[in-house]
Amino acid sequence: MDFKLSEEQELIRENIRELVKKYLDPIAVEIDESSRYPAEVIEQLAAGGWMGMPYPVEYGGAGLDYVSYAMVIEEISRSCAATGFTVSCHTSLASGPIFNFGNEEQKQKYLVPLAKGQHIGAFAVTEPGAGTDVGAATTTATLDGDSYVLNGIKTFTSNGPVADTFVVFAFTDKSLGGKGLSAFIISKDNPGLKVGQHFYKMGIRASQTSEIILKDCRVPREDLLGKEGQGLQIAMSSFDHGRIGIAAQAVGITQAALDESISYSKQRVQFGKPISKNQAIQWMIADMATDIAAARFLYSYAAFLKDQKQPFTKEAAMAKVFAAEMSTRHTSKAVQIHGGYGYIKGQKVERLMRDAKITEIYEGTSEAQRMVIAGNLLR
Amino acid sequence: MPRIIACYKWVVDEAYIRTDSSPELDLEYADKKMSDYDRNAIEAAMQLHEKYGGSVAAITVGHPDDTKGVKDALSRGPEKAYFINDPSFENLEPAQTAAILADVVTAKTEYDLIICGEGSSDLYAQQVGPRLAELLDIPCVTMVSKIELAGEQLIAERKVDDGIETVSLSLPALLTVLPDINSPRIPGLRDTLAASKKPVIEIVKDELSGDFTPCLQVLASFKANMERNGQKLSDEAADIALLLDTLQSKGIIARGVK
Repeated sequence: MDFKLSEEQELIRENIRELVKKYLDPIAVEIDESSRYPAEVIEQLAAGGWMGMPYPVEYGGAGLDYVSYAMVIEEISRSCAATGFTVSCHTSLASGPIFNFGNEEQKQKYLVPLAKGQHIGAFAVTEPGAGTDVGAATTTATLDGDSYVLNGIKTFTSNGPVADTFVVFAFTDKSLGGKGLSAFIISKDNPGLKVGQHFYKMGIRASQTSEIILKDCRVPREDLLGKEGQGLQIAMSSFDHGRIGIAAQAVGITQAALDESISYSKQRVQFGKPISKNQAIQWMIADMATDIAAARFLYSYAAFLKDQKQPFTKEAAMAKVFAAEMSTRHTSKAVQIHGGYGYIKGQKVERLMRDAKITEIYEGTSEAQRMVIAGNLLR
Repeated sequence: MPRIIACYKWVVDEAYIRTDSSPELDLEYADKKMSDYDRNAIEAAMQLHEKYGGSVAAITVGHPDDTKGVKDALSRGPEKAYFINDPSFENLEPAQTAAILADVVTAKTEYDLIICGEGSSDLYAQQVGPRLAELLDIPCVTMVSKIELAGEQLIAERKVDDGIETVSLSLPALLTVLPDINSPRIPGLRDTLAASKKPVIEIVKDELSGDFTPCLQVLASFKANMERNGQKLSDEAADIALLLDTLQSKGIIARGVK
């Protein structure tokens, strides 16, 4: 066992820190307020090879291990959780299933530009009536000659408005329940795919979210991802990977809250001394740092298992639920430490508190994570 | 097609130096980093390489544990690195560093141009570059803010107190560069991963031709104390005159400014 980062990992962390400090920190407040997609930062990340981190070099990636990948997501999220999620969603939810389940042609055609960051990916599974209950989806895919015809509405599609490539889930046979769900790769140029309503969110506002409307959307048979009926397995596998990223994102958000709290409490003077001299503040900071360390170990362990090709579903769920819940708890404390100033727009902790909440909701709610963990333990 | 050697120093990162009530510097948590201007030196070498071809090698003298620095240097573009190391090479006197570099550069390399940072982030003695050039008996240009090559001639702009001085010299030569010369690129992910696979030529003390037993011993490092007067001045004419007088009497601004 080794808890120490390698020299290579340390350099990677220093480089991503420098990159986000230079390009993301200066705009983080503005892109949150205006809900703007930071295309210029994504271009920088693409140029540095940060958009296809865990995929092999022959598919346009960098061939990075998952522990390091998650560490990078934490570092980006520490500056801007929305951008951290844009990268994480693009990498693990959209590119991941193509790498894990796609055939060679699909990888060359879709994964290579995604991993190089020339294309952005989105993952469309959620529907108005089907959140955690993926099987309640109503989008259908009917085989007609050499293509499937998809009809339905997807909602809360992260990266939807900016994506070039969508991984979309639809029932090829609704009568089979979960076993009738299939996955498809669809280009944004497909005339049957339209970006619907954009959502303006409470947090991670620079991450773009929309409906995706599929109306007689013809998808060539060769763009079926995996086999017919493999959709649920593909979705669950993608979430397993994605949850490591969300746990890392939550840790990044909370680390930023801790950074802000330490710096503010040391300079804020009340009753003639910095508030950091008060035990009430010290305990909040100590608890925050302890939970951050625990959550970081949890996501690193889940990522380590993935790198070792061991099962990691339970561990990814544990990392995600623990990191997400400690993140909402401690970002709220960080606002408390900042008092009235923490409640003002433009203060980082105000944004962090809003950003943290989503980590308890997407890629499986905290309740869904507990279902996964208990399901694994009580089998 | 210049063969370029870029020198760098792996120094304590001042951002991690802790200060408390004790007079000594707490270096326990201090990580190390590439000396700031040496990043500019490597970047300058890479830009010349991209424009004129040739090759770039990095070279450093340091402690055997400083392997991260070698990877850092290589992730910035050089195709190979010379890592001269010994446990005693931690606090070398600049003249010794220059002598060790000269020894290795002469014995193991072929070069047209050597580029150093103007000074190191820790000591900023500005000694190693000029001393190395002297030992190699090649021309040296300091304070360089722009470089161009024209055949065998090198044209460098120097930023000096009263303006920009343009000099031309023939290769081989040594330059020390200012941070103004470029904005060092941040290594991409693939650059860092590729760095571990590049060749590193390790040179230990026994392979050097001279006796380089360090002649400098660091007994302790103390914090610099900045005394503040806490004197408040208004924007009244009398106070402005007092401010100028004070600054002049302390030699902070030149006389005759008034």
